[in-house]
Amino acid sequence: MKSNQPLIMLQNVSKTYTLAKKRSVTAVRALSLEIDQGEFVVITGRSGSGKTTLLNLISGLARPTSGQVLLEQTEVWKLPDDQQSRLRNQKIGFVFQFPSLMPSLNALENVMLPTMAEKGNDQAAIRRRAASLLEEVGLADKLEAYPRQLSAGQQQRVVVARSLINHPELLLADEPTSNLDEQTEHEIMALIQQIHREKGITVLLVTHTVELVSYGNRSLRMAAGEIV
Amino acid sequence: MRSIFLAWKNANGNPFRSWTVLLCAALMAGFAVGATILIGGAEDSLNLALDRLGADIIVVPSGAEQAMENAFLMGVPLTAWMPRDYVEQVATIPEVEAVSPQIYLSTLRGASCCSVPEMFLIAYEPETDFTLRPWLERNLEGGLQLGQAVGGAFVYVPMDPGYILIYGYEIDLKGQLEPTGTGLDQSMFFTLETARDIARLSPTQAVQEMVIPPDSVSSVMVKTRRGADMHQIAQQIEQKLPDVTAVESTNLFHSQRVQIIGLLQSVVVLLGVAWVLSVALIGLVFSMAINERRQEIGVLRAVGLPRRFVLQTLLGEGLILALAGGVFGIALCVFAIHLFRNLIIRLMGVPFLVPSPLALIGLGGAALALALVSVTLGALVPILRIGLMDPALAMRK
Repeated sequence: MKSNQPLIMLQNVSKTYTLAKKRSVTAVRALSLEIDQGEFVVITGRSGSGKTTLLNLISGLARPTSGQVLLEQTEVWKLPDDQQSRLRNQKIGFVFQFPSLMPSLNALENVMLPTMAEKGNDQAAIRRRAASLLEEVGLADKLEAYPRQLSAGQQQRVVVARSLINHPELLLADEPTSNLDEQTEHEIMALIQQIHREKGITVLLVTHTVELVSYGNRSLRMAAGEIV
Repeated sequence: MRSIFLAWKNANGNPFRSWTVLLCAALMAGFAVGATILIGGAEDSLNLALDRLGADIIVVPSGAEQAMENAFLMGVPLTAWMPRDYVEQVATIPEVEAVSPQIYLSTLRGASCCSVPEMFLIAYEPETDFTLRPWLERNLEGGLQLGQAVGGAFVYVPMDPGYILIYGYEIDLKGQLEPTGTGLDQSMFFTLETARDIARLSPTQAVQEMVIPPDSVSSVMVKTRRGADMHQIAQQIEQKLPDVTAVESTNLFHSQRVQIIGLLQSVVVLLGVAWVLSVALIGLVFSMAINERRQEIGVLRAVGLPRRFVLQTLLGEGLILALAGGVFGIALCVFAIHLFRNLIIRLMGVPFLVPSPLALIGLGGAALALALVSVTLGALVPILRIGLMDPALAMRK
């Protein structure tokens, strides 16, 4: 359901990492940003520009050094771990740049992974939904395949299916095509675009490939931890 | 699907980590069970043997005391003789409540006239006996008659010829005593009258004559009055009969007890060292494995699995491996003890009684608990370190 409030709101957010020997690096600097529901925002920038940190701050995976991160008007870092995890679990789907499937689980089990902590789930229904998502991403014949038996593109499709298992409102994609060839890159981006269009999911995608901005409906550029 | 399912899948997914932890758990549980069975069983064995003998003091010819201990403990036959009138002389000592003579004999090894392997035979005097009487009163009304015997727990009637033959004399086995784990389990008890009958007929029925010197006995079992000073009575016996040794029951099997205590101390030290090393190794292996899987663990948190769930999963992996390793170690240890029991007894020089199935289950449970606690302790620090880390940091290469 759409509301007038932005889905994501960052107010003057900074993130500084403390390194060894008391050195520190500021990855995100006093950044303010609003993203509305239903948007497909592509953020581009070079390596080290703070794109991944921005996604981590939005999803509650990294604690901001200062400023406020609001997801649906809820300040993520004010929530206790259980509620923060639940919020991430129910509202956000992730697609990472690195191979993020559990090697000991098959494709179907990997897609079901985010539902594991929920008690009282209808396992048969979840299994059916996971199978249906794998079918949607074109892997109907790979339900029992383990990650090592899948190509990089197929693995990323499983990750996309996994990100959708809990009907998220927001899909965060961190360089989802960085390890893929051009053809597979296009296929994965088309898939994400289709998900955005058909399911109305807000997408925030960060990439260093400028050409990918064409898939979104808003683009931003980051440099040295700021939106420029 | 719950954390235990994920833990099970992950435990199967890392063979090096899993086998190392499993073997450490197996080592600890097996070692703990083995040491307890051997040391506890040996202690039980000695106590049961003492109970079976039932005497406060055993008087034997000087120099025969070690052989007597070997006979009772290991079933090694013993030949020792002293005059019969020593029995009456010991009985005259004040504070001595009862005395009863025994004669020690053995079967012939490999002779056709004996149907059992070399066996320690104990002949007792029914009129004065107080060692076997409690068992006989409970189990055999009227006691043993001429030609009858009771055997230790491991004495059986051979299928062929269907009876026990000693020096060509047919023995009717009337019952078996409870196991003690000692040589007494492979010994046979009959009356002095039966012993003399076997000896009388042996020149015509056996390949070799059974010799019982006239007016001789092998030992005198002594029961003291309640509250009497056993040590003082033993000294009086030795003063009165200079060519005998009066062994107090509290000193019986003394060297074996010292050996057990020494063994116990060594085992405790070894167990302690093995435990510390195992916990350290488990910690190291878990650290390595978790470090390798940092991204994986970060992803679990990123997809919304709560910290508690992730910690449970990681600990669950350890517990599954501890359980599997513990069961494997305990089963292997019990099987090895069962298979090599005789060899272990020979090497230790002390017999041991295997605990009852119920006691064994209890012991196994305690050893499993040790394995579970050890693996949890070893794995806890690396698990907490990664579990408490910000997911974004965990996912960083």
